[in-house]
Amino acid sequence: MEKLNYKKLGFKAGLEIHQQLDGKKLFCKCPVKTNKKETPDLTIKRKIRAVAGESGKKDIAALYEEKKDKTFIYEFYQDCNCLVEIDEEPPNNINQDSLEAALQLSLLLKAKIEPKIKIMRKIVIDGSNVSGFQRTMLISTNGKIKTSKGTVKIETILLEEEAAKKIASNGKDITYRLDRLGVPLIEIATSPDIKDPEHAKETAETIGMILRSIDLTKRGLGTIRQDINLSIKNSPRIEIKGFQDLRSIPKITEYETKRLINDPPKKGEVRKAEKDLTTTFLRPLPGKARMYPETDHKEIEITGDLLSKITPPELITERTLNLERKYNLSPQLAAEIVKKKVGFIRYTKEFPRLSPKIIAYILVEAPKELRSRFHVTKKLKASDFEFIIENLNSNKIPRDAILDVFLKLSKGLHPNLTQYSSLSDKEIEKTIETIIAENQGAPFNALMGIAMSKLKNRVEGKKIAETIKKFT
Amino acid sequence: MMKKISILHLGGTISSKVDYKTGGVSSKFSEKDMLELYPEIKKIAKISSRLIANMLSEDMNFQHYNLISKEIQKEVKKGTEGIIITHGTDTLHYTSAALSFILEHLPIPVILVGAQRSSDRGSSDAELNLICALNFIAQSNFSGIAVCMHSSTSDDACLILPPTKSRKIHSSRRDAFKAINSKPIARVTKQGNIGFIKKITEKNGNFKLYLFNPDLKIGILKSHPNLSSLEIKNYSKFDGLVIEGTGLGHIAVNKIDSLTNENENVLKELKKLAKKIPIIMTTQCIFGRTNLDVYSSGRKLQEAGILGTQLDMTTETAFIKLAWLLSNHKKEEIPKLINKNYRNEISSRTSLDFLDYVYT
Repeated sequence: MEKLNYKKLGFKAGLEIHQQLDGKKLFCKCPVKTNKKETPDLTIKRKIRAVAGESGKKDIAALYEEKKDKTFIYEFYQDCNCLVEIDEEPPNNINQDSLEAALQLSLLLKAKIEPKIKIMRKIVIDGSNVSGFQRTMLISTNGKIKTSKGTVKIETILLEEEAAKKIASNGKDITYRLDRLGVPLIEIATSPDIKDPEHAKETAETIGMILRSIDLTKRGLGTIRQDINLSIKNSPRIEIKGFQDLRSIPKITEYETKRLINDPPKKGEVRKAEKDLTTTFLRPLPGKARMYPETDHKEIEITGDLLSKITPPELITERTLNLERKYNLSPQLAAEIVKKKVGFIRYTKEFPRLSPKIIAYILVEAPKELRSRFHVTKKLKASDFEFIIENLNSNKIPRDAILDVFLKLSKGLHPNLTQYSSLSDKEIEKTIETIIAENQGAPFNALMGIAMSKLKNRVEGKKIAETIKKFT
Repeated sequence: MMKKISILHLGGTISSKVDYKTGGVSSKFSEKDMLELYPEIKKIAKISSRLIANMLSEDMNFQHYNLISKEIQKEVKKGTEGIIITHGTDTLHYTSAALSFILEHLPIPVILVGAQRSSDRGSSDAELNLICALNFIAQSNFSGIAVCMHSSTSDDACLILPPTKSRKIHSSRRDAFKAINSKPIARVTKQGNIGFIKKITEKNGNFKLYLFNPDLKIGILKSHPNLSSLEIKNYSKFDGLVIEGTGLGHIAVNKIDSLTNENENVLKELKKLAKKIPIIMTTQCIFGRTNLDVYSSGRKLQEAGILGTQLDMTTETAFIKLAWLLSNHKKEEIPKLINKNYRNEISSRTSLDFLDYVYT
């Protein structure tokens, strides 16, 4: 197939990236967690009607949904829901941690932070927000990132509430699960500076890396979502939602561009990215009368005091490079240390006697070895790592015994460290003399085998070999 | 034929919307806005709508109860077959009690409707409350005052609550109003199905108004540990006092050791005050009946002249009743009249399911 000339087509695209934050919810103290229970603690039924926004006109997208006259069924879970999510209590004060994370991000993206943050209500009447609106606030504007194809401007950085997750729909009733509702969500919107589908992927990857550089960023499936806004000359704007994988961005964007060339729609559309790399119609593009002020929360002043406390974290890429250089680690090991947040730097500071390489081995490579060699699937606890590093530091565990101790810990056993306690040269010599006496005439390798099994984990192999040689 | 129903607006959350100038919610809702927002209500009844006041209910006083009552009287004279009053929820139960006492033998239904979420939000509870109240008027023979609010946190049904035995017991939930020491009158679904729960027997008679004296000063004092006699003294220039006692109706009046000297002063001040003004005891437990015979402190209070033993009136209703009695009767008659059941504000039996019966 002929390659498209995106420049000639007047291709314009921007990204909208949504990233969930961990910790507590944005306007209450409920924990951010995914419900694992089968049945909800409570099911409630609600109706939502379209209301006029600030301009006084009912939003066209909102009206479109209202026509369907739906009943919304909400699944409520005591451990991660309170009255705030079911619109039975006004919002509590904004979660300061998520606000600070949004400010950190703004600094990383070199965006201009708003001096006063006004919380707005964005009308959403598909039922995914119990209140009928999503709380959202503009944190900063005019940021930028560098890409291989030039600067991509960041128009806006918003902090908002995540919507509830749709569970079922049967025409009239739609069921939503409320665990996700109210989770802090950062929205980053770029300018339409993206030049082609590959560039869209690169931009998404760069922004993703920057987001992951922030401590509070939630990890895992569904915690980040990318939408693409695109148009070509003489076509309306199309929004594509629901990319499962960044790798599908170029193909789906290319498909959509071809659709715009061959069969352009009359009006703007919101479309869903499908697994077969095509897109399907979701709803008309929402109109502009979607916002009105949140009256239940005061304006948030971003004081100099607050800003002076915010330090942007080092980017993952910088962090990795610095680790490589400072500790002489391989790029791959450094990347894993950063990605897995294993507390490497803390341990190196706490235990300066241990080499950074052995700490890296314990934190990153030993767990992998346990998985591949001993089929340990259980996740090791932070306290397990701590135990091993501490005892290695105080010579209670020899290096050779690290995996053995891990194995015991993974089985929930408390290892008896005296079995690893190192022996004096005299004790080693006595044991080896006995072995030689009991196995007269045995070759070196046989003696070595017997001695290893007896002194395993307590004496290093090298030392055993030297002692055997001394007495034979 | 559709009934003629008037909606009288008083303000409150149900008729609040965002004030784009201040960013806060205020009662700036015109009566036309309500009809525009809920066009479907015109299918239930022949609706007329007008504004009486536009205020938050915590700002109301006795004069407003008189004003609303006179407006109701006007509507009755015009031939209106039912009235809905939109009202802030904070003091809605005071108003419902006040209107009950003022309007004797009210021949039509007058339903007070509020909302916990303003009408300008998609999830407002106003629509269901309004539609259920309209359906209740349109499809029942009920007459008198009642309150109509959400039955549960779901948007499927409302309770019609007794005006002198209801209370707001939650600051924000849409099902904040519950019957206290009583059952709801009825449950109404959005579709207009009515299930009567409690039969209200109204005596027939001439419709007459007994208004409030707006100059009266009635206080409410909540009993609490470490009470000072100064708190009692504060009410020396008042016309009446309701004490919301602890438990069965108690307040600190026993001197038992050197640490409780002040209690003696409290009793002394109470005695002094009770000689001048009527003092009614209620319970801050919310549910249940007072009894000033069980403990020695209760007996001391009765000897001091405190009224209200073995009654199950809410504090709010007792406050309204005391003001209303003082407005229409001599002070000397209060000890007798406070025990008289005028508007079902006292129940003779305390039913087991008053506290936790679930109305579904």
